[in-house]
Amino acid sequence: MLTVEIVFAGLLMGSFYALMALGLTLVFGILKIVNFAHGEFFMIGAYAYTLLVTRAGLPQVPAMLSAVVLGAAVGLVMERLLMRPLYTGVIGPGALRDEYAIIVTFGLSIFLINLSHQVLGPYPVKGPDLVATSRMELFGMFVSPHRLLASGLAAATLALIVWLIKTTVWGKRVQAVAQNRFGAAIAGIDHARVSALVLALSGGIVALSGALLSPLFHAYPDVGAFPAVKSFVVVVLGGMGSIPGSILGGLLLGVLENFGAIYVSYEYRDTFGFIILMLVLLLRPQGLFGERAREV
Amino acid sequence: MSAALLALSGLRKSFGGILAVADVTLAIAPGELVGLIGPNGSGKTTLLNLITGFYPPEHGRVRLLDRDVSGQPPDAIFRAGLTRMFQQVRVFRRLTALQNLEVAGRAAGLSAAAARQRAGRLLERLGLAPHAGDEVGALSGGQQKLVEFGGCFMSEPRLVVLDEPFAAIHPTVKQVMVDVIGERHAAGQAFLVVSHDIPAIMRLCPRTVCMNAGAVIADGPTEQVMTDRGVVEAYLGGHAR
Amino acid sequence: MGRIALSPADHRLAFALLGAVALVPLGVQSEYWLGVLITGLYFAMLAQNWNLLAGITGLFSMAPSAFAMVGAYTTGLLSHHLGIGPWVGIPAGAVVSAVVGFGLGRITLRLRGAYLALTTLAFSEILRLVVANSIEWTRGDLGLSVPGILGGAKAPILYLFLGVLAAYQVLLMLLLRSRVGLFLLAIRDDEVGAVARGVDVVRYKTLAFTLSAAGCGIAGALFVHFLQLASPELGLILQTGLVISMVVIGGMGTATGPLVGALLVQVASEALREVGVRHLLVFSALVILVGRFFREGLMGLLARRRSPARLVARPASDAKRLA
Repeated sequence: MLTVEIVFAGLLMGSFYALMALGLTLVFGILKIVNFAHGEFFMIGAYAYTLLVTRAGLPQVPAMLSAVVLGAAVGLVMERLLMRPLYTGVIGPGALRDEYAIIVTFGLSIFLINLSHQVLGPYPVKGPDLVATSRMELFGMFVSPHRLLASGLAAATLALIVWLIKTTVWGKRVQAVAQNRFGAAIAGIDHARVSALVLALSGGIVALSGALLSPLFHAYPDVGAFPAVKSFVVVVLGGMGSIPGSILGGLLLGVLENFGAIYVSYEYRDTFGFIILMLVLLLRPQGLFGERAREV
Repeated sequence: MSAALLALSGLRKSFGGILAVADVTLAIAPGELVGLIGPNGSGKTTLLNLITGFYPPEHGRVRLLDRDVSGQPPDAIFRAGLTRMFQQVRVFRRLTALQNLEVAGRAAGLSAAAARQRAGRLLERLGLAPHAGDEVGALSGGQQKLVEFGGCFMSEPRLVVLDEPFAAIHPTVKQVMVDVIGERHAAGQAFLVVSHDIPAIMRLCPRTVCMNAGAVIADGPTEQVMTDRGVVEAYLGGHAR
Repeated sequence: MGRIALSPADHRLAFALLGAVALVPLGVQSEYWLGVLITGLYFAMLAQNWNLLAGITGLFSMAPSAFAMVGAYTTGLLSHHLGIGPWVGIPAGAVVSAVVGFGLGRITLRLRGAYLALTTLAFSEILRLVVANSIEWTRGDLGLSVPGILGGAKAPILYLFLGVLAAYQVLLMLLLRSRVGLFLLAIRDDEVGAVARGVDVVRYKTLAFTLSAAGCGIAGALFVHFLQLASPELGLILQTGLVISMVVIGGMGTATGPLVGALLVQVASEALREVGVRHLLVFSALVILVGRFFREGLMGLLARRRSPARLVARPASDAKRLA
């Protein structure tokens, strides 16, 4: 029974990892960059939900939705202001482009963390759980209803996004731009708009994760750092730009982490993610599902 | 066989399940000017990458002047006397045109002064002298291609390998390249030119090799190869992969 | 930007700046401000070494603070556990950092861009967490007390830091004049093109990593002897972020940019602290602006103001030089 509980709890957490990783991988697919400010969308969601409920007195559901909208809005603004040069040809291909992306997104990350520190202070704030009861029994296991509901929402969002991308016309446009921006543009697709919307989507779902997890993690300036690292691990493990890779990788990480926390060292638990990240990047940079890009 | 400048024997390379280069055996003599043609996907670029050290062969050997260089890295192959140009232009965008050429010169062991001199003369020949001090990133595509082309000659290589040098460039730029290739060939430089530009190959190269689906299907005097049945069919889609 | 970057004017300006700093203790007696300047010089060393790796060779590493921490703890552990003095400890710090840097350089050879950044980020955090958790050895977050140098007097310490920085600056200049500098720049712009042009990319990337790590290690070792305390906080990504900000704002890939950036940022931090504004907030905003609009940083702006014509193609004068 214990193993099942560990796996189940791992899957619950894994659904969040999958959702966040999906956000990161979508941005990579469209812009071919790693967004170093990824974790800060989590923070935005966490703060938005928590403050709207505790300080503005909003009911939980509208607060949750507002957090998502805020995340999406920030994503949109980020794309318009900072990401455009990546595809308008101002920056050449290759080395300069990578440098630009890292500097700008890493700078944004530090900026957002310090902005919340400056404006909202360093102390964590906690919002209410989605469901008031603290424990319930499910198939002989004790679970937190909040976690169950939150994970359910995360999983549902995941499914929605995958459906959007795989089946709708808009989703096909996204796929087209991800595969070949130039070709997509020639075919008449407004690739700039697609970019903006994908980044908004990514911001929104990552903010949702932050909001859903905020009763657990609380909200503070660099709350997004560890989720970001975990997202990097998942995306690198699953393969940059691979949607199934992000989902499977996220669930896998959730389960593995749970086993690790219980059976291996507690002190060094934070290092596991980093170690996995390094190992994957050094041994199989394309991840489990990704493709090795041809260089020459 | 010991007279060969470049000797490929039984080269094989696959990607995933696809055999990109299938047991290619080929020899180029010192001073030869050879064209390499073939439809898209025939394995020409992969073959070039095998020769210039960007991929290790799964099977077979690459010999340069009787020295086995199979599987050695590209910089070792450069030092062994083989230089190349890429299909997508590769230059050092934030360095000047002069510095772009100096890199190859210094890597070949020239002193700073000697490298600068040789680079200057090359730029002069290519008509780029006024841009010697300009950042290459600011030059036009054709000029960048010429800078890359010039870089091939700094080390006075035995064999220069050109991958689609005439693709998508202005006719004047192409003419400069064709002229320089002709001059250097007359002075004893060997070339392997991969191109889709059949008229250019016919004018330039006395010998042509044709590949299709990873294998060599024709190798001989250019007029013969161009009228070879198999070659014509390959280009018109008879056996293309 | 190639015109001002690494040109003789660029190097001259760097040395002039160092000269100006040398004059400061003659006019400023405040222990506090001398301490601020010393800290600024520490960051200037990190900035220059990071610039070598990222600005000149194009390897965007997130590990400069980690290497500073390695150097710091090498000398810290040697003095704390074995009673070995700083004049052995500091060179030891350089050597250990160099070895670690060599190792990291070797294993990350095939990685570029964001993948390299992520790997070095992970490496940096692993190192910091190990140091912070190895409490029996390092006393973790409490920090390791470390002996002072030069009697703890600020002015001599400042000149020591300045001397090391100047030595580093000279080495950099010599490196850039040699073919090694040209090769590193070529690797930065196009690694594949460089290797096709005969540059031993493996050797030079490793060299860049090793030198950069050694430089950061020396800086870290010196700094802890000034602070008389070694703490895992030295290796925080936050610190790396500060270093990167300094170089980007000052001008990546130039000889003077990292110095200007470090000193300016350090002094500005003090001013911002008075006003109660978090310095990283301002600097990261500047980094974004610089990255987005003024790619070449302060040095680039300076270059444009001095000679706007230099950015356009030069006519006859070059042709004459080539004869």
